Amino acid sequence: MANDSSGHDDHAHGHIHLQYQPALPMDNGKVCMWLFLSTEIMFFAGLIGTYIVLRFGAPAWPGPADVHLVEWIGAANTFVLICSSVTIVLSLEAAKSDRVKQAKIFMGLTLVLGAVFLGVKAYEYQSKFRHGIYPSKPRSLIYEKPDVYYAAATRQRLRDAQAELTTRRAVLQEDKSDLSELELLRLEQLTAIEIGLVRWAEEKAAHGDSEAIPALAKIVYPGHGHGPDPAEIEREVTDLTGQQRQLESKQAVLMQEKTELQAATEPDQARINEVNTDLAAMPDQLSLVTNRIKALNLAKEAHHGLNEAFAEESSGWPWLVLPMVIPGGNMWASTYFLMTGFHALHVLVGLIIFGLAMMWRLGKNKTVFIENSGLYWHFVDLVWIFLFPLLYLF
Amino acid sequence: MADSHSHDHDDHSHGGFGTYMGVFGGLIILTAVSFWLGNSSLKDTMPVSAWAGMMAVSCGKAMLVILFFMHLKWEANWKYVLTIPSMMMSVFLVCMLVPDIGLRRVSYSNDRIIHSARPAETHDSIPHEPDADSHDEEEHASH
Repeated sequence: MANDSSGHDDHAHGHIHLQYQPALPMDNGKVCMWLFLSTEIMFFAGLIGTYIVLRFGAPAWPGPADVHLVEWIGAANTFVLICSSVTIVLSLEAAKSDRVKQAKIFMGLTLVLGAVFLGVKAYEYQSKFRHGIYPSKPRSLIYEKPDVYYAAATRQRLRDAQAELTTRRAVLQEDKSDLSELELLRLEQLTAIEIGLVRWAEEKAAHGDSEAIPALAKIVYPGHGHGPDPAEIEREVTDLTGQQRQLESKQAVLMQEKTELQAATEPDQARINEVNTDLAAMPDQLSLVTNRIKALNLAKEAHHGLNEAFAEESSGWPWLVLPMVIPGGNMWASTYFLMTGFHALHVLVGLIIFGLAMMWRLGKNKTVFIENSGLYWHFVDLVWIFLFPLLYLF
Repeated sequence: MADSHSHDHDDHSHGGFGTYMGVFGGLIILTAVSFWLGNSSLKDTMPVSAWAGMMAVSCGKAMLVILFFMHLKWEANWKYVLTIPSMMMSVFLVCMLVPDIGLRRVSYSNDRIIHSARPAETHDSIPHEPDADSHDEEEHASH
């Protein structure tokens, strides 16, 4: 806006003096920052709004514990971010009164608090990855429901793990060596789970038992709900042990009958064929029952599901993660990683800005810079204020 | 727009240490309130009230940050020009998504309902051999 300068005598000097009035009563940088922030409001409101609509329109949505979200960690991170908002505003106050050292200390504190926030976020991400929760396949092992596709995926995963171990075993045996005791035990466990849990469930499902595959899913990953009842497992094991004994004695009887039939002077060929057929089916039936017993004994010990029980003592990472059923888990993972990821990116940018500021003398001449970076930082805090309850508490 | 107090650049700031500490305390208390709401039995008995409560607390926290930390309380009227339209756009966006995405299950086909995820407790209601072409009234819609 330009006005005629009223206080001057234009005619006397022959030229016009223009007096500029700023459009907004503040620094241009601040205007730009506010414009940027208003676009950011729309950006995050778009993400958050979409999340709300997706979440409440979803057929199912996992609870925080189902997806390894720990509420108090989120709350602690909220506290960290609030503290950093206070320190940046105190840094600005100090710079305004030219208390350079104080301004720098507060700026440094903000930088440290922001880094703590990111560190906690990284830890949280890691705990998701450790449990096979990723935003997309093929790494993501989340299945929406316990159906035949879930059982097939679990079987495939077990077979891949078995193949890896057996291939290595073959290589080692060429050098007259073998897998370690632990690896041999794992190989045995893999077989037990594949036959005793997955194949068992698939066969039951094929015969119309609608509870077989959901029961398998519950053993692998019960989420925050209750896993299988140990007393119930114990009952099944007792029952199966009885069946195993019956099968073994039946096998012995058949063997005896076969020997007697063959020893006869005129062998009854038709009966021998029958006995042979029955005998041929025995190892398979026995293996199914024996492996079922082994697998159930494993499941009985795994109170939080097999996936949790596979955690290695040294690293805490599981040596095997099986596909798990988390209804609504895939949509949850997509929205969680997208929103927290964008937020973390904003935090990272803020840290870079503060890192730069730490190299300068933060006196009166830097107040505009500190104010603008502070505005940005408060906005980042603002976004988290909404993300925390939406993601951790809803 | 550029009015009389436009020139007194807010050097001698509003706020001050006491105000900031007060706001800090308020933010901590409100965070504790939303944490308490999120873990209370209210979430199980009346989830909508708990959600609304948590969102109200978040809006309160946001107002504290915007007004005091971002100094919007002491800014001139330009603040309305920049913030209100963008907030309205955000609300519009959500409203636009509701009929299409938020209510998407209302128009799910039978086949889609059978194959959609559902909470573990209701697995029993899934039929064994779903007939994709059957148009019989499904009771699966309600859960």
